[in-house]
Amino acid sequence: MPTIKSSVAGHASATGEAHTHEMSFLRKYIFSTDHKIIGIQFLIMSLVFLLAGGVLAMVIRWQLGFPGQAMPGGGVLPDTMAPDGIVLPEFYNALVTMHGTFMVFFAIMPLLVGVFGNYLIPLKIGAPDMAFPRINMASFWIAVPAGIMMIAGFVVEGGHAAAGWTSYAPLSERADLSGVSMGQILWCISLIILGLSSILGSFNYITTVINLRAPGMHWFRLPLSIWALFVTAILVLLAMPILSGAIIMLLFDQTIGTHFFGPAQGGQPLLWQHLFWFFGHPEVYILILPAMGFASDIIANGSRKPVFGYASMVFAILAIAVLGWGVWGHHMFMSGMNPTLGTSFMISTMLIAVPSAIKVFNWLGTIWLGSVRFHTPMLHAVAFVSMFIIGGLSGIFMASTPVDIYIHDTYFIVAHLHYVLFGGSLFAIFAAITYWYPKMFGRMMNPFWAKAHFVLTFVAYNFVFFPMHQLGLQGHMRRIFDPNEYEFLQHLQGLNTFISISAFVLFAAQFIFAINFIASWFVGEKAPDNPWDDNGLEWTVPSPPPHGNFATIPRVYRGPYEYSSPLVQEDFLPQNRELPPQPAGSAAHT
Amino acid sequence: MEKPKHAHPNYVGIFFFLGALTLLELGVAFLPWPKMVLILLLIFLAVWKAVLVALYYMHLRYEPNRLRLLAVAPLPLAVILVVAVTREFRW
Amino acid sequence: MAHATPTLEENMMDPPRGYEEGAGVYNEKLGMWVFLGSEIMFFTALIGSYIILRVAHPEAWKPPGEVLNVPLTAINTFLLICSSVTMVKAFAAIQDGNLAGLKRWLIATVIIGAGFVGVQVFEYIHLVNDGFVPSEGLYGSTFYTMTGFHGFHVTVGVICLMYVTWRAFQGKYSAADHRGVEVVGLYWHFVDLVWIILFTIVYLI
Repeated sequence: MPTIKSSVAGHASATGEAHTHEMSFLRKYIFSTDHKIIGIQFLIMSLVFLLAGGVLAMVIRWQLGFPGQAMPGGGVLPDTMAPDGIVLPEFYNALVTMHGTFMVFFAIMPLLVGVFGNYLIPLKIGAPDMAFPRINMASFWIAVPAGIMMIAGFVVEGGHAAAGWTSYAPLSERADLSGVSMGQILWCISLIILGLSSILGSFNYITTVINLRAPGMHWFRLPLSIWALFVTAILVLLAMPILSGAIIMLLFDQTIGTHFFGPAQGGQPLLWQHLFWFFGHPEVYILILPAMGFASDIIANGSRKPVFGYASMVFAILAIAVLGWGVWGHHMFMSGMNPTLGTSFMISTMLIAVPSAIKVFNWLGTIWLGSVRFHTPMLHAVAFVSMFIIGGLSGIFMASTPVDIYIHDTYFIVAHLHYVLFGGSLFAIFAAITYWYPKMFGRMMNPFWAKAHFVLTFVAYNFVFFPMHQLGLQGHMRRIFDPNEYEFLQHLQGLNTFISISAFVLFAAQFIFAINFIASWFVGEKAPDNPWDDNGLEWTVPSPPPHGNFATIPRVYRGPYEYSSPLVQEDFLPQNRELPPQPAGSAAHT
Repeated sequence: MEKPKHAHPNYVGIFFFLGALTLLELGVAFLPWPKMVLILLLIFLAVWKAVLVALYYMHLRYEPNRLRLLAVAPLPLAVILVVAVTREFRW
Repeated sequence: MAHATPTLEENMMDPPRGYEEGAGVYNEKLGMWVFLGSEIMFFTALIGSYIILRVAHPEAWKPPGEVLNVPLTAINTFLLICSSVTMVKAFAAIQDGNLAGLKRWLIATVIIGAGFVGVQVFEYIHLVNDGFVPSEGLYGSTFYTMTGFHGFHVTVGVICLMYVTWRAFQGKYSAADHRGVEVVGLYWHFVDLVWIILFTIVYLI
């Protein structure tokens, strides 16, 4: 296909062999148009931001666990943040804001979409690269200045943005009230630029999945990870521009004196909330759908069984994506919004629990009676399902408006969001990284330390976040600097301290993963093509795959979950393996 | 799948039609009718022009159905946002 | 079993061959339509907010023509529609292999497009001198944001058109492959389409 060929190192041969001419280190690894390299670039950038977001969380937990005490090592921080290592309230607000911002926009989203969207889509559909490799490269390099700008906000006068990751107007636009001016402006500009990066990526992914599937790769033979990434890309495409528009209006309110959200001249603070959450709710599905996709692929592999109810899994992904546009008001039940509107959001929110539940039952159905292999990715994937169940169940409480009146903006919400984003998305990310690491780097991660990391993380994580449900039900608000100023919260200090200590253990445990990740790159056992006995197309090429992925475009004969098939001796049956014609009446394959 | 060969649409004819619709809009805008009627008429005329541009200049008339579906897919979202949030300020 | 990769002789304007059936059009056209989906949502945020704010606070707006120069902008609207015609004539020309026609019509489109931006800037200067600025209540805020970002998109479009025109002069387009022309044309028509909506709801309502 000329469009692809012209981008594969600039030329193609008659036999269709993909190969590179001698490229400089700069062209091959820095300004690369190869989706695999770009995926790894996003991986490195996102892991750095994940670490940074974690560090911010540690400071938050220090203040909540040991209020008013000097933080070990806090002396390095300037007096505007933590004089004598004691966190200031203004800095605390910036901490909670930036923890959320870093994690949502610069860690989880790029890890799911930028890393695995880039890495997996062409490989798993049988394409040599994305439809627009140069735009793909641009997408990464545009994200880099956005990240730098977001970090820079910490060192400007007035401090970083401190109005929450949701940046509600009018607080976010009133520098005279919050003391934060440049930090908020940098936050706005950074996200506008990141939005452009995401939109460029998403239309690339969508075009690629629609037009570049290998022959035989019908829609209903796509792995669920690809379905999820495809649908997520559509959500990114359509939701990010809304955020960009809203942030532009916020920026204009701050800088050129417009009145979109300021009540003084007829502006509407609620308009900000509606716009933000109209983006924000699809955003949370962006943050979970790819995770669900990876879990499906890995659980099927670990169970040596096809995914239970593949078609319903696809329809559930579609249902979540479609319904997800109609629930945003459930973030606003306490805003003073139109109550009738609120009721409609309550109903739609309860409805959307259904497709998620279908997926959960199907994962359980996949594992049931499987010959389970407990490799590290499987452990993380099963943890994902169980933690997602808890997070999803707490969501049902919040969907009910009368209940939400009580628990809104409390730690119950913080518990919920961390169960779905950490317990859900991050465990799925760990699953995906440990699963596809051999393919990416040609090395196996050390299995013992990978499992040790899993166990420590899983235990510490639950000790951190499960008690937060209790905190919230007791009335402990979120984003609060000092709960002890309220008498009715003082008895919760012990619980807060327990959570903080668990959080420090959780953070420390991540170094096991970091060391395993880095060390295995250099000294890990060399990875075979298909270490997990998986059916996907990426496992039919070497680890790591060459530029252009496939020597010739594969031909696909079946879906990706033919594990324990009666047609072959092995317990897996790759998508591109041709079998002799089957007699009529034998197991039919879609 | 070869692109179907068809004669060029009458681009200049469409242009005159667009011009006529624009003049009509200008006329309607300053009529002394109730505001709501004017708004509905003007939106109708604007949408008619937009559809003509989409169908003929952007060739949607001749593209596969799948592409046409893709092109209009974001529109219901726009409607949901505006309808729901205007309810916020009119209850 | 591996499948022979398609050769270079196929028609560039067709959907990719040797792959599973997709949208039925070549990648760049599909990509541009998908990208335009995001642009629809971007303008939805701006225009939608305008509609919402106007419904919430109608007193902040003046009747049509009182503040804004409707006749001048009507002419500008007509100009932009003209540029859509010249754009589509350029595309029709290269579809028929007419390179001279392509160049002529592209240059016309660039000039008219730049003219549109020029008139907008001229209008802005006048409005600002008359005291109508972005901080002039909801009216100013929404007017300048919507038309400003539209103007920004037109400017980007003019730059892309200049690039395509330059490539046309380099002989890069033919009847068999004029993807760049069609794709930039789609963007240009979209920008015109948004203006058709904007002109009506900003200037005439």
